[in-house]
Amino acid sequence: MSTLNLLVAVCTAYVLFLFLVAFAADRLALQGKKAWLRSPLIYTLSLSIYCTAWTFYGAVGSAARNGFEYLTIYLGPTIVMVSWWWLLRKLIRIGRTQKITSIADLISSRYGKSSLLAAGVTILAVIGTTPYIALQLQSVTLSFSVFAAQSDGLGPEDQARVALWLSLGLAVFTVLFGTRNLDAKERHDGVVMAIAVEAVVKLVALLSVGIFVVWGVSGGLSNALTQIDASEFGQWHTDRSRWAGLIFLSAAAFLCLPRTFQVLVVENDDESHLRTASWAFPLYLCLISLFVVPIAVVGLDVMPEGSNPDLFVLTVPLALGEDGLAMLSFLGGFSSATSMVIVAAIALSTMVSNHIVMPIWLRLNPSGASVSGDVRAAVLMARRISIVGVVMLGYLYFRMSSGGAALASIGLVAFCGLAQVLPAMLGGMFWRGATRMGAFAGLTAGFAIWLYTLYLPSFGVGTVLPMSIVENGLFGLTWLKPDALFGITGLDQLMHALLWSMLFNVVSFVTVSLMTFPSPLERLQAAQFVNIFEHSTNARSWSGGTAQAEDLMVMAQRILGAGEAQALFQRHARRQGARGNLPAPTPDFLEALERELGSSVGAATAHAMVGQITGGMAISVEDLMAVADETAQMLEYSARLKEQSEELSRTALELRNANQKLTRLSIQKDAFLSQISHELRTPMTSIRAFSEILRDTDQMTPEDQSRYASIIHDEAQRLTRLLDDLLDLSVVENGQVNLNLRDGTLRATLDRAVASAGIGEDGVKLEVRRDVAKEDIVLYTDLDRLAQVFINLIANARKYCDAASPRLVIRVMQDADRVVIDFHDNGSGIAPEAVDMIFEKFARVSDQKAGGAGLGLAICRQVMTRLGGSVDYIPSTRGANFRVVLPYRTALAAQ
Amino acid sequence: MNRTTDRPGAPTVFHERRTYRRRRVMDAARVAPILVLILWMIPLIWPQTGDGTVSSATALIYIFLVWAGAILLTWAISHLLADEVDEPPDSES
Repeated sequence: MSTLNLLVAVCTAYVLFLFLVAFAADRLALQGKKAWLRSPLIYTLSLSIYCTAWTFYGAVGSAARNGFEYLTIYLGPTIVMVSWWWLLRKLIRIGRTQKITSIADLISSRYGKSSLLAAGVTILAVIGTTPYIALQLQSVTLSFSVFAAQSDGLGPEDQARVALWLSLGLAVFTVLFGTRNLDAKERHDGVVMAIAVEAVVKLVALLSVGIFVVWGVSGGLSNALTQIDASEFGQWHTDRSRWAGLIFLSAAAFLCLPRTFQVLVVENDDESHLRTASWAFPLYLCLISLFVVPIAVVGLDVMPEGSNPDLFVLTVPLALGEDGLAMLSFLGGFSSATSMVIVAAIALSTMVSNHIVMPIWLRLNPSGASVSGDVRAAVLMARRISIVGVVMLGYLYFRMSSGGAALASIGLVAFCGLAQVLPAMLGGMFWRGATRMGAFAGLTAGFAIWLYTLYLPSFGVGTVLPMSIVENGLFGLTWLKPDALFGITGLDQLMHALLWSMLFNVVSFVTVSLMTFPSPLERLQAAQFVNIFEHSTNARSWSGGTAQAEDLMVMAQRILGAGEAQALFQRHARRQGARGNLPAPTPDFLEALERELGSSVGAATAHAMVGQITGGMAISVEDLMAVADETAQMLEYSARLKEQSEELSRTALELRNANQKLTRLSIQKDAFLSQISHELRTPMTSIRAFSEILRDTDQMTPEDQSRYASIIHDEAQRLTRLLDDLLDLSVVENGQVNLNLRDGTLRATLDRAVASAGIGEDGVKLEVRRDVAKEDIVLYTDLDRLAQVFINLIANARKYCDAASPRLVIRVMQDADRVVIDFHDNGSGIAPEAVDMIFEKFARVSDQKAGGAGLGLAICRQVMTRLGGSVDYIPSTRGANFRVVLPYRTALAAQ
Repeated sequence: MNRTTDRPGAPTVFHERRTYRRRRVMDAARVAPILVLILWMIPLIWPQTGDGTVSSATALIYIFLVWAGAILLTWAISHLLADEVDEPPDSES
């Protein structure tokens, strides 16, 4: 078996192995075992997509030609990784929250979802990446030809065949694993896993060759260092502008290359992985570049003059008879090339299908967008075609350029082209004032200058750019010569192009941004991007129908409130016959939901919100979430206001009632006062009159004197009684009276009352009839107060009973829970219209017989209330009947 | 970022010691790339002709030592900021 056949066999086996790895990873991902697939280590390794065959082979070539310059290609990305905290974290957060699918998507999304910008960046990426893919094919065919040279050689036809088979194989792999699903976030578990494996192969291969060279050939580290010092680039010598410029360029490329953006931002599964990658990826880069110089030095030493230094990694072990090591090295280079092509194809195809094919397709089929399944199929097909197209474009470029040029230079040309995206990208992330027109102007200016000064000349003088332009400048203007713009000569061609393109790019980006005014959507997106850490929590991924329903649920809850939203969703889920509480987002349901939301936020907003979540993004969901939050807050606020105003009106009503009561009380008080003063004034008047008579009359009979004095005495007594009563009433009414509770029989109390009140001053005798046997009840109450009530009632009977022979019957009855004592006289009773008033203060039945102040019954009622009983007037056919009720509890307590 | 997420109103002048340290670590994370860049720009001022030129081995060792230092520094910072990244971002203010 020839070496070449062995090589083909190894290659095939390796590719099959990659298929298996990707397949297994996809299977695991489908089973939900993502934790292992998406570890920080895998993320870090997948970043190594930055190191292509160009770095694998080309770095050694570059070191052999230009000394340490190759290091700059790794120093730039290292600095970017060290800037993870303020740069990459923000970039990834933006990518996750805005569901960015590519660098073109990022730029377009930031600048108001501009499809023109997206298409522009896509074209730029395709132009920049195609030579790069060609480069990978070239490196693989070159490495094939190295092995073939040992046996029977490899003709140009064979080389082309190798490149074709390789590109076909890669296209198949990418279509198989790169377009499996159409997640909003373009994640490819199988591909990422395969890349991680390839990253390990690359590193192990290069480290093995390095270790072999240093310890196997040079004989140890110190010897290797001495050998380096002794070699042709023994002294530090490097183009200073290239050193600084290339560090910048590689840093920019690391951020802007479609394939690195793909793994760095789009495939990122967890922001915390960045924390590990921030130091682990610089370590990877450090290890990859560690042995480049020793390999180059040994290669220059061992290999014959004129041999291609780009292939030293392969040829040195071969020349030293280490076939196994050479095979490993070949696999490393093969890995670098294949992984780059795969990821670049995925990234580019996403961009091409999303930003070029789909807009055109939708324009050609205006009705197509309404059928969602249709679009999905169309997108997938567009993506597959794009993948094949991108890979084949690379193959065509390879066939047309047919090798020759040093590998590294094409890479740097591509870097410079894609770096034109950097100002718009960083400006969009950190400057809210950056506008779409500014980004467009900057990109156009940078792209044009790059095209004119670097890309077109890279095809070789006289191929694309006519010789006349190169020698005399555009339109014969010497200051427009592609290698010496504005007459500045002596600069390295790459640095010249980089300087002018970036300068014009940044200046036009900033100037136009300052002068133009952004659209509302742009300004919204600008705020979202620049203040990403204020607007977003950790982004959630959205996928499939349930996620959509969940998002609708979240939104509905924010607007309708949790309970109502859940009820609504449950109702529709039941109606649809779906299991669980989430209905499928069918048109019917969406319409109902929209109506429901419309009642809270208005129809137009509701329509926009539902439309945004279910498709046709024009404003991102987060914005609507924010709007929903605000609406919810406003609704809550107005509900609170309503509540408060209700409370206020309740309070006002209470206040009005209280005021009415107070007014009534005030009137009562006035009446009371006027009555009091009237009652006090009458005796006062007679006292004053009679005392004046006594004072002023000189001759007065002793009889008259004594008569007048007794009148004054009587009136004074009446006054005293009135004041006593008033005092008593106020004490009882205010509840200040202390009850003197003690045991005693009802009979003794009645005896006392009858004795005190039975006979008045006027000598009228009242006959009192009692059933003494029934009165033998022991009471526990304030006996003095009770007696006061009885005295009052008996005295009233005596005073008002108008019968010829007044008689009062005191009847005592006892039932389950009370004792009832009736005072029934045989008089004419109280007129029905007066019954209501007799317990009021100063109420008197008749003026003629006014013996007291009219406070007696009022006091009685107050006292009985205090004792827990009552006193009432019971209408009866004959005579007045007062009924005193004592709660039996008081009586029983004493027994 | 920590400053911008502070709620409006009177800004807090004094923070708890731990918060203060964490913010300084964030500052360090911001300036670290500048330091690394400056160190890697040092070779620009090395003389390229005549006496005092730096030998390739020395240059190589210098660049890789800076590299190792950058890796260690980033590793340390990333561990000190672990809580910030792994927890929801609101926890920092």
